[in-house]
Amino acid sequence: MDTPDYLKPVPVPSKETKPFWEATRAKKLVMPRCTSCGTFRFPVSRHCRACGKAGHEWVEVSGRGKVFSFVTYHRHYHPGFAGELPYVVGLVELEEGPRIISNIVGIAPEEVRCDMPVAVRFEPITPDIALPKFAPV
Amino acid sequence: MSGHPLADRYVIAGTGKSRLGKVPELSDLDLTEEAAYRALADAGLTVRDIDGLLVRGPDTSYTFHQELGERLGINARFSTTTCNGGASQILSVIQAAMAIEAGLCSTVLCGYGRSAWSRTHADESTRVRAQTRSEDMMAKEFGPEYGYFSAAATHALGARRHMHVYGTRREQLGAIATAFREHALKNPEAQMKKPLSLAEYLEARMIVDPFGLYDCSLRSDAAGAVIVTSRERARDRDCKPVLIKGFGTFNNLSGWFEGDNMIRTAAAESGKTAYAMAGVGPKDIDTAQIYDCFTYMVMVQLEDYGFCKKGEGGDFVASGALRPGGVLPTNTSGGQLSESHAEGMLQIVEGARQLQGIYGPDRQVKDAELCLVSGHGGNTVCHSSLILGRA
Repeated sequence: MDTPDYLKPVPVPSKETKPFWEATRAKKLVMPRCTSCGTFRFPVSRHCRACGKAGHEWVEVSGRGKVFSFVTYHRHYHPGFAGELPYVVGLVELEEGPRIISNIVGIAPEEVRCDMPVAVRFEPITPDIALPKFAPV
Repeated sequence: MSGHPLADRYVIAGTGKSRLGKVPELSDLDLTEEAAYRALADAGLTVRDIDGLLVRGPDTSYTFHQELGERLGINARFSTTTCNGGASQILSVIQAAMAIEAGLCSTVLCGYGRSAWSRTHADESTRVRAQTRSEDMMAKEFGPEYGYFSAAATHALGARRHMHVYGTRREQLGAIATAFREHALKNPEAQMKKPLSLAEYLEARMIVDPFGLYDCSLRSDAAGAVIVTSRERARDRDCKPVLIKGFGTFNNLSGWFEGDNMIRTAAAESGKTAYAMAGVGPKDIDTAQIYDCFTYMVMVQLEDYGFCKKGEGGDFVASGALRPGGVLPTNTSGGQLSESHAEGMLQIVEGARQLQGIYGPDRQVKDAELCLVSGHGGNTVCHSSLILGRA
């Protein structure tokens, strides 16, 4: 159920990603880890890209990482972001390896740098969904 | 000579472009048809000579070859819609050569057309939405909720990383935009008609930083087409064939976000394959037509193709190398940044025409014998390369 004044897109969890969004709601960041060799992987797949074995479990990660790269939006592509310009989208490399897209928050856009250390914080947007965003450590 | 069995056996026998830019009276198929008939005329052929059709239209149309074939009123021994985004058009030429070699067909029309300007400017509401992709092709999670939209952003992530690792600067990206504009001013068909200075480039509004307005390619109503056939078959015709000397493909399917894929692209492996087939290297190339969806992609591909060392693309382009009369005149029609955007198809046409030697001294790359054409796309990970030679 969407909060009426929340105008941005709300993630639509798939069968595979449901555990990710259940965890963020409880303020935990989880990633799929191979049950055979322990390699983290993302996006989700049936088989491990490192060892080829099937099976994974969702494991809580540290929530720490660094900004692999980032961009600053000066125009909006969705009306929900019109009031937020300029905002920063970053590709965050987690300590455990996987890279995920998120927002870099808690810092002026012009201060963001590649390889800057960041940590997760959770932003509830609906009763069911909280977004993991990243701020400088 | 590389001894590769397919090198120098096939040719581009003719090329065609539709009217370019803002052509609201023509649909995707109209544009493609217009380019196709012009390519046939250039090759000295008629539609009855075509027995292969390898084309592409909007992302959503996997039946584009069927629709075009119906309009042309032909059956085809070999026919499909090629779906590797901006890498598709060279891939069509490659598939054409392979299909002829395999005896599946003899003369292939390769083309692309899309009314991308009209599609997003039909009225104010479509202009504001300005999406060329349909809703059901959009990601549902891990992107839109953070405001991560547009091809500009995906490529800008690569540009930013390149800047961080190699010290690349925006004014170097600007040297690409201004060089292509210089070429466009010599091309009466080009969509962009006014000069572009580095100061204007830097002052333009930012879109997705590090990309500003002039880092982004055009939205165009545009189509291009070429005819691929064997060297022998082209001999009997009144045409100026251009040799297909080498080609290659590579696809970083593991993803743009994986490893260093965004600063060392699939062009590196694709290029190696094409150079080996043609038996040439980057120093032999006289002119290049490089897929320029965004300025940064030109810089990184020039490195990946070995025109300069990895990380030195910024200095290379800022030296004026790509300009008219430069060491590597590049995107000599103006490219997708300044001529028109037809997902790389127009760059195959331009590469072939430079080697047909049809231009006047103002626009003709002097003594051009070899041209490299690149195609990049399919959500940033697919690449194709084509090396053309004067017959």
